Amino acid sequence: MAEAAAAPQVFTRRASGLVRVMSPYSAFIYNVLTMGIIFPWTYVWAPTALEGSNLILGIVFAFVFELPIALAYVWLATSLPRSGGDYVFQSRVFGGGFGFTVVFAFFVVWILQWVALSGWLLATLGIAPTFIGLGVTTGIGAFTDIGTWAAGTTGIIVISIVNALAALVLLVTGFRNYVRFQYVMWYAILISFGIVLLLFLLNDPASATAKLDTFAGEVNGVQGFFETARAAAAEAGVNFDPPFWLLGTLLVAPIAWTSLQWATYSSEQGGEIKNANVFRSQVFIIVGSLTLTAGLLILLAVAMQKGIGDEGILVASSGYWYGVAEATIGGNIMFPNLMAMGLTGSWIVVLLIGIGFILNSFQIVCNCYIGTTRIMVAQGLDGLLPDWFARVHPRWKTPVNAHIAYFLAALPVIWGFNMIGEWTRWTLGVTFANGAVMTLSALAAALLPYRARKVYEASPGAAYTVGSVPLVTIVGLLGFVFGSFMVGSFLFREELGLAYTGDAVPYYIVLGTAVFGLLVYFVMRQVRASAGLKVEYAFREIPPE
Amino acid sequence: MPLFSKKAKEKATRLFYACDIHGSEPTYRKFLNAAKFYDVDALVFGGDLMGKLLIPMVREAGGTWRARLQGQNHHITSEEQLAEFKRTMQTLGFYWQEMDPEEYASYEGQQDRIDDLFDVLAKERLAEWVTLAEERLADTPVNVYLCGGNDDTDEVLSALDETTTERVVNAENRAVPLDDEHELLTIGYSTPTPWETPRERTDEEIAEVIEKLMPSVSDPAKTVFNFHCPPLDSGLDTCLKLDASVWPPKPVIERGQPVHYGAGSQAVADALANHQPTVGLHGHIHESRGATKYGRTPAFNPGSEYGEGVLRGLIVAIRGGEVLGHQFTSG
Repeated sequence: MAEAAAAPQVFTRRASGLVRVMSPYSAFIYNVLTMGIIFPWTYVWAPTALEGSNLILGIVFAFVFELPIALAYVWLATSLPRSGGDYVFQSRVFGGGFGFTVVFAFFVVWILQWVALSGWLLATLGIAPTFIGLGVTTGIGAFTDIGTWAAGTTGIIVISIVNALAALVLLVTGFRNYVRFQYVMWYAILISFGIVLLLFLLNDPASATAKLDTFAGEVNGVQGFFETARAAAAEAGVNFDPPFWLLGTLLVAPIAWTSLQWATYSSEQGGEIKNANVFRSQVFIIVGSLTLTAGLLILLAVAMQKGIGDEGILVASSGYWYGVAEATIGGNIMFPNLMAMGLTGSWIVVLLIGIGFILNSFQIVCNCYIGTTRIMVAQGLDGLLPDWFARVHPRWKTPVNAHIAYFLAALPVIWGFNMIGEWTRWTLGVTFANGAVMTLSALAAALLPYRARKVYEASPGAAYTVGSVPLVTIVGLLGFVFGSFMVGSFLFREELGLAYTGDAVPYYIVLGTAVFGLLVYFVMRQVRASAGLKVEYAFREIPPE
Repeated sequence: MPLFSKKAKEKATRLFYACDIHGSEPTYRKFLNAAKFYDVDALVFGGDLMGKLLIPMVREAGGTWRARLQGQNHHITSEEQLAEFKRTMQTLGFYWQEMDPEEYASYEGQQDRIDDLFDVLAKERLAEWVTLAEERLADTPVNVYLCGGNDDTDEVLSALDETTTERVVNAENRAVPLDDEHELLTIGYSTPTPWETPRERTDEEIAEVIEKLMPSVSDPAKTVFNFHCPPLDSGLDTCLKLDASVWPPKPVIERGQPVHYGAGSQAVADALANHQPTVGLHGHIHESRGATKYGRTPAFNPGSEYGEGVLRGLIVAIRGGEVLGHQFTSG
């Protein structure tokens, strides 16, 4: 019925209108930055965890698997363009108890781990390599000392807390402050990423190895760094000539997905995005950011293969997966940025790379706050968290209470993450938990036309069908299947997550968070019932007839 | 009185409040059904009944129509498509008028005629809504309290007085009984907006209206304030600052970023603080859903998402001039 031919214009009258703050372009940038293009775990995780896998093909698989999930979110975000994203989608389709429990437990609670992780990233991938790189390129020992301190436990904890506090101050004093600063982060990160790419592309394995030897020699005080690291990696079990492994390549996808899955994160603040209910806008924001980021990740993989070769990638990966100490520089895992710093002799280039990484780390902690506080506000307004969480500061117009609560909740997680040796093993469920939310939202999208019919019918996506089947049902089901494969991999493959430790503790912790979410739901339900109210009213659709 | 028995508490009155549905047919129908669905004693509407857009459906030879909706051109060629198209417009709160190409062309540049057409169609719809409310609530003790907001014209609101009703109470600019102990005081005006809507008043004028109506209230502490405009800088009134010197108004940008501000009324804030009513119910700013407090008095804005067929609302349980609890709804 919809077509491109000319048609009469609508008549309007003088009536008030709704205007939103975040442009689709800002939301697009937000998603790209959330995916952390410069924190590509894939390159240090997959090569040795899944020997014989093809990195580039694995990233392509991740893109293909995420695509229907991203499209499903386009329908959800245009149908329900409001803050609280996944919580709103799932509570509307599955009901409040399910939607609250899943999103509160697997997003709000588990993303606390990301606050700690972003501090760790800032310290070990941002500040430490930058100062170590500056120390080497300028010959100033104090820089190297700062870099070494930043990579130590005390340094990481201090930096993590300052990182979380700085983000808190920036965000509570006005969301527009963040949006403005995001442009600074965007350009700095693009420059940084571009330089890393160029440095790899301008080198070959022979020249890169020699440069890394010199760089690591300055930092570690060792000679023949690369050969030593290679030998240690081989001793740890790394096969430097593995045969191609198709299943391993498929299993690279869940790893790359830990980045690409965040293409949908802008939907958490759908109420603040201009034209959030316009289909084309959401395609640009969600699918566009996914495509760009996947392309950049592939480009980096190509550049790394050109620059340091498969052997260099395996050596770098052994420092992460096997914990080969000889394959680290100044105690730091050889993430692409650190290697790129080793490939240049210019302190300015080191600084430009470092600033990008520092800002992206900071941006990630901002994401944690922005997404989860919007969810908490939505849950507070629905009566599933105390009203206190939903209050908006009259002057700053931001959910200050939710922000402060999240900061305080993050402090013990930061401490545990860095001080408790077993913490990382206990919390291997983070990838599963976050992925499960998105997979279930894809299912919610598939069921949207049947479980929230009026909402769906009023949305622009209702125009797209295949025969009599809504297109969203098809992409949603596809997304659910692909997402299930990936979260299932996190559950059962020892290379990818919960099964790594070989014991049940990580599973119990995932289960424990779900039980905690359910407990909060039932307590709040009881509290509301004591005033004669039902929290179910917050989600249940009234029949119009 | 037996030593350990509790005094039987009087039953609380449960109100369902919603506002800003802007002509959306399914949202209004949901509002009426909320009485039974949420098991409440009264339905209170907080203003802005009228829709904002009118879709001309231009007839073509062969019994087809052309129209534009949500940025897309539509060529409607069958009765099924026509029915579906009208359903979508009803959900979105739009009005429509079938017309010949000549008639459509005659409206070009004639904003006064377009406004008149809006009034005719909106008044028809409001009259239908009043009748529908009577039918739906006929066998219940539930009253529905209707009023206008800043976006509604007086001409359209006159439909509330012209239709004789049992269950529909025209609450506009007056105090009316809500139950045996509470009253409802309703004011539909807003402070001036960049959109120059039909029923805007200065803060001084709103204060004057409030103070003029207050003597008609028996006990301010047992009165529900149903003021369309939220209190100033309350968090219930946050929206983007707009530049009214251009049409349509555009966001004010400072240092590259849009500016937020409170678009509410100081007079309303003062009234809540000074008179300490049971509760303040507000709307007007769709995107500013929330709750706040003025002394003992809680104030709410449930927000609005009428365009998606979603009825945002609020259930409030009151007794003896106190709010016992509240629950935001999204139906």
